[in-house]
Amino acid sequence: MSISFTLARRYMAGRKLRTALTTLAIVLGVMLIFGFNGTLPGMMEWMRKSMLASVGEVDLNVQSASSALFDQRVADKVAAVDGVAAATPVLRRNVTLPEKPDYHTTGITVIGIDPVVSPDVRSYPVAEGRMLAASDDDTNARPVAVIPASTAEKMGLAVGDELVVPAASGAMTFEVVGTLDSPVPPATDEVYVSLPLAQDMFAAPGRASAIEAAFEGGADEETVQEAVGDAVGDGYVIGSVTADSTLAAGFEVAGTIFNVLGLFALAMGGFIILNTFRTIVAERRHDIGMLRAIGASRRQILGLFLTESLVQGVLGTGLGLLAGWGFATVTAAGMSELVGDLMRIESFETSFSVSTWVLAITLGMGATVLSAILPAIAASRITPLDAMRPQLGDVYEKAATKRGWVGLALVAIAAGMLLSGNDGLIGLGGLLLLVGMSLGASAAVKPITDFFSRGIELVYRREGALARANLQRNPGRAGVTVSAVMISLALVTGIMTMTAAVVGGYAEYAEKATGTDYLVIPQGLMLSGGMVGAGPEMAEAVRSTEGVGDVATLRYAPAVVGDLTVQVVGIDAEEYAKVASFRYSEGSSDADLAKLADPDMVLANASFRAQTKTAKGDTVEVMTPEGARTFTIAGGGNDYINAKLPTVYVSQEALADLWGVTADVMVLANATEGADKAAVLQSLGATIDGFPSFKLYDALAWQQVQNDLFGQLEIVYYTLAVVLAIPSLLALLNTLAIGVLARTREIGMLRAVGATRRQVKRLVVAESFLLAAVGTAAGLVAGVPLGYVIVRSIGAVGLEFDFVWPTTGLVVTVIVGLLFAVLAAIIPARQAARLDVIRALRYE
Amino acid sequence: MSVRHAILGLLAQQPRHGYELHGAFQAIVGGSLWPLNPAQIYTTLGRLEEAGMVVKTAIRRMGGPDQHIFELTGTGRDELDRWYAEGVHSTHQRDEVFLKIALALADERADAGSIVRVQRATLYRDLHELTTRRNDVQVLAQALLLDKAIMHIEADLRWLEMVEARLHEMRRLPATDIPPPRRGRPPRTAPERGGAQTRQPEENRKGTPTWQS
Amino acid sequence: MAIVETKGLTKVYGTGETAVTALDAVDLSLDPGEFVAVMGPSGCGKSTLLNLVGGLDTPTSGTVTIDGREISQLSDDEITRLRRERIGFVFQFFNLIPVLSAVENAALPLILDRGGSARAAAKAEEWLERVGLEDRRANRPDQLSGGQQQRVAVARALVTEPALVLADEPTGNLDSKSSEEIATLLRQVSSEWGRAILMVTHDPRIAAHADRIVFMRDGRIVDDTKIAGAESARDAMERVGLL
Ligand SMILES: Nc1ncnc2c1ncn2[C@@H]1O[C@H](COP(=O)(O)OP(=O)(O)O)[C@@H](O)[C@H]1O
Ligand SMILES: [Mg+2]
Repeated sequence: MSISFTLARRYMAGRKLRTALTTLAIVLGVMLIFGFNGTLPGMMEWMRKSMLASVGEVDLNVQSASSALFDQRVADKVAAVDGVAAATPVLRRNVTLPEKPDYHTTGITVIGIDPVVSPDVRSYPVAEGRMLAASDDDTNARPVAVIPASTAEKMGLAVGDELVVPAASGAMTFEVVGTLDSPVPPATDEVYVSLPLAQDMFAAPGRASAIEAAFEGGADEETVQEAVGDAVGDGYVIGSVTADSTLAAGFEVAGTIFNVLGLFALAMGGFIILNTFRTIVAERRHDIGMLRAIGASRRQILGLFLTESLVQGVLGTGLGLLAGWGFATVTAAGMSELVGDLMRIESFETSFSVSTWVLAITLGMGATVLSAILPAIAASRITPLDAMRPQLGDVYEKAATKRGWVGLALVAIAAGMLLSGNDGLIGLGGLLLLVGMSLGASAAVKPITDFFSRGIELVYRREGALARANLQRNPGRAGVTVSAVMISLALVTGIMTMTAAVVGGYAEYAEKATGTDYLVIPQGLMLSGGMVGAGPEMAEAVRSTEGVGDVATLRYAPAVVGDLTVQVVGIDAEEYAKVASFRYSEGSSDADLAKLADPDMVLANASFRAQTKTAKGDTVEVMTPEGARTFTIAGGGNDYINAKLPTVYVSQEALADLWGVTADVMVLANATEGADKAAVLQSLGATIDGFPSFKLYDALAWQQVQNDLFGQLEIVYYTLAVVLAIPSLLALLNTLAIGVLARTREIGMLRAVGATRRQVKRLVVAESFLLAAVGTAAGLVAGVPLGYVIVRSIGAVGLEFDFVWPTTGLVVTVIVGLLFAVLAAIIPARQAARLDVIRALRYE
Repeated sequence: MSVRHAILGLLAQQPRHGYELHGAFQAIVGGSLWPLNPAQIYTTLGRLEEAGMVVKTAIRRMGGPDQHIFELTGTGRDELDRWYAEGVHSTHQRDEVFLKIALALADERADAGSIVRVQRATLYRDLHELTTRRNDVQVLAQALLLDKAIMHIEADLRWLEMVEARLHEMRRLPATDIPPPRRGRPPRTAPERGGAQTRQPEENRKGTPTWQS
Repeated sequence: MAIVETKGLTKVYGTGETAVTALDAVDLSLDPGEFVAVMGPSGCGKSTLLNLVGGLDTPTSGTVTIDGREISQLSDDEITRLRRERIGFVFQFFNLIPVLSAVENAALPLILDRGGSARAAAKAEEWLERVGLEDRRANRPDQLSGGQQQRVAVARALVTEPALVLADEPTGNLDSKSSEEIATLLRQVSSEWGRAILMVTHDPRIAAHADRIVFMRDGRIVDDTKIAGAESARDAMERVGLL
């Protein structure tokens, strides 16, 4: 084995604690990256499989690009294409089932099919009873349904039983006339009904969500697919089934977050490695000089350290891969457990693609070796004469001061940028601030520790003073640690600030939304794809309830602008203005709302305007089931529920004309003046009982629900923030451990002249507190502007929030910082206290 | 010189012939290290006999001349006991090198610096020689004798170093003002290595301009 | 031909007001196998001289010629090679790599020279045996006494069979018994194994092992004396007053 490896191995083995801590720094990052990238493809694959299964043996599938409903007659166009044997419209909607203990499922997909044509396109192997027949089209007859055997089993249904499904006009009760042996996608339970019945249920007469077709035998699939594309025109997707885009997007966002977390952890790992290697080089100065004297070339010295970093990298990356594999396996098992209740899945498979391996290994090794390069180069510059000289402390000091000034200048520039009001400059300013503060950290160590140690010295005078002197003696190392702690805690503060702004902002919206006395909304909060709407009966029923005054309804359809999927919300401008309050953007008012009477006019929310880069008065081209339409933006405003998604508001007439949607997804109502609100709530409750997929809230209950929701959101954010800070804990731990090692002799001396174990322990803890205090203070100073930058930047993509002073966030940050100080100090303090005095004194 | 006492000591062990005494002495000090002339032994024995410290008995040998065996008397024993009981005074204050240097300082044609250098070279040569021998010597008694010699040379070298460092001070003092050297110098015991020889003169430089301290 | 020769070797540290002339026009030459001790008060430039001769530092002016090659003409890599192949070093401190065993430390120069490690180990063991440490070959420096550590350093200095060994106060850190052992070992290095040695020491007893002593003061050589094989022990005895 080469001498470099021998040396690397022995040196590392000689410093087990430090090696372990350094390794841990890499393990964390690699684990996150490898683990998540190993889980993600499995999830996506699983989703794709479920989608494919739902398409079953269908040769061709046509859907609108926006996944909006469209005219079922498109099926005729498809059927007319050469090579297509049969084509049939399908209406597929997900509904939330009313809670019923024996159903064991919360959602079910209602699939409306043409009982005559559909069997030509797809096979329906009957297990028991019968398949749907042409006669079942009769909407006046007793509704019948056919369900897959697996669904029947899960819901405890048999042929002849009744199944209650929420519908636009209230609940609909079906008689199960048959069960099918057809394969069911793992995610869903299904119920097949005749198409006209389904259209009736969802208040979508004559509309379909997809056309399914079968090829003629021997037809060239690609040619036919192209011909179908030509026949149906723009706005349709042919062939493949797009995965449920919101779920997929969710996974992708999570993937990005994990990768960013992993990268961040690796960057911190890099910091730690830099720190470790700088110490190592300083520590082995004499060894290096001696090696140079007896004939080692610069390159050999460089090689020595790079080898060591390589060994460190292999160790960290290897363990990281192992941990990542464990992480992925546990995640997959957890997901299977979690989702398995809702959907029928066997298991999630973890899958580690070549690119995942390459990514994790490259990043893990890369971060290690790159961070070691600078110290390694410094080591190769050590001359043989350095071996015989004591270390030169003041050179170090001077460089740190110079960097301090550069840092200060950067911070000043950053402050200017932050105050400029320009979004681009503000973003850059945030980055500059962090860089500047990191640079300045080592120069700032002295004054700041002077300040903080006063507190500690009040309690433990000697330990505090010693700890301070120790930190100030090595401002470079302390600076790196402080930077690491600072960046972490700045992120924590930043996220907290953002949370405060977002939660505060939404709370304000929520309050506005509850200017309405009562809300009737679907079980799930968001208006989205498969949500069942209600026919005019529901709004009518609400209106006619005693004590109810003004009533407004919201309707919903999806649409596409460019590449962007947007929501189209249909409102009755006059009603809406009376019941709900819009939060108008600057320059818009109720007058703009009234303009919606013109079917070519829309209101757009901030998210929409930001993502399409439009403003009041601009025109936008929106893809509708009737083809592309150009609208003029009459004004801007947000309503609470739709603020997160790009949304345009149109009149309900326009929505019916272009999207064929007449179902209400939300009803807002006010009580008449002087009515007994509680009584009204009660009678409204009775009214809504007839519509099982809807829920009724009064203002207070609604707000309560929202607050709970935000409470959860806040917890998620806070957890994320704390996780983000963990690498800085490692950095702190690393620095302290290194400090204890470097001062072994000194500690031995202190013990020899009479310091007790407890005093030595206190010394390390005091040092930890000082480092953490400096880092936390810097983190707070950098974090608030960072939070401001984040709030501004999410404002720039359309979620306008006011910057709120993040008091809770600051408190949490301080607590995290101090907690870390204690946690980080535990191991090194015990080590220091346990040092054997005699051996410590002999330590070189 | 205490050849006298060496003979008394050797006779105290047992009565001996003259040449036997010579051999025994050589065995103790190690042959060539401290060469002693047999004639010197007989002269000394004669004087001791006169003083009544030894007595001579003749022994007739077959086919050869008579041989004398010397024996310790009571007076001799007393003298030996007295010798053991007394301490030995240092004689280093009567130093030749010192005289050379002191006189050379007052002599235009002599160079004190050169004397120091020559002396140092000489001492180092001796030291080299003794060191080399010391490594070969097997008898402990002889090794100790060599060690003593080596230590003395070390002490002399240190003294020389000190002198060299202060030669210029000595030059500034008129020869007639040079008082006789006092007892106790150079130092009787060698100071620790790297010790006084450099520090001491520096301390004194600040004080009175005299080379004695 | 001399193995080492310096001509007008001068080293000035710093510039202007604070300039220190550590070495002032030093001419010195060593014959092959010659053992030369350098003596003089602290700060007189002994280490500087050694460092310049060893190519660890560059002179302000003057030349150092080793084996007929003037080292100021060589690149850093060439000097490194020269050090590795022709010069052995023994320092006062930090001689050994703490994580390597005695035999590994001794083999270092060969290993650095890309010698096959088996061959390197064999040579190192051979030298360890010669310095009397064959039973300590597997021990790490912290398990060796100061004297043993220095002996490993001597073995390491000799393992490449260099022409010249440079030793800067090799016994400065040792008790007198160990010092004596190291000095005897160095004597052997010169007389038996024929290496030239340039050794800095403060200790006359250590210097006495050399063939020649160079006395320095304020960066200059003030005296240069051969001390080997000149006088009889008798003369010596008489001079110290034992006769
Ligand atoms: N790197 C350096 N910078 C400045 N002065 C130095 C340096 N190295 C040595 N010196 C000075 O040069 C002189 C000779 O030093 P050195 O050769 O180490 O003396 P010594 O004879 O004690 O080994 C001393 O005055 C020392 O202070
Ligand atoms: Mg020196």
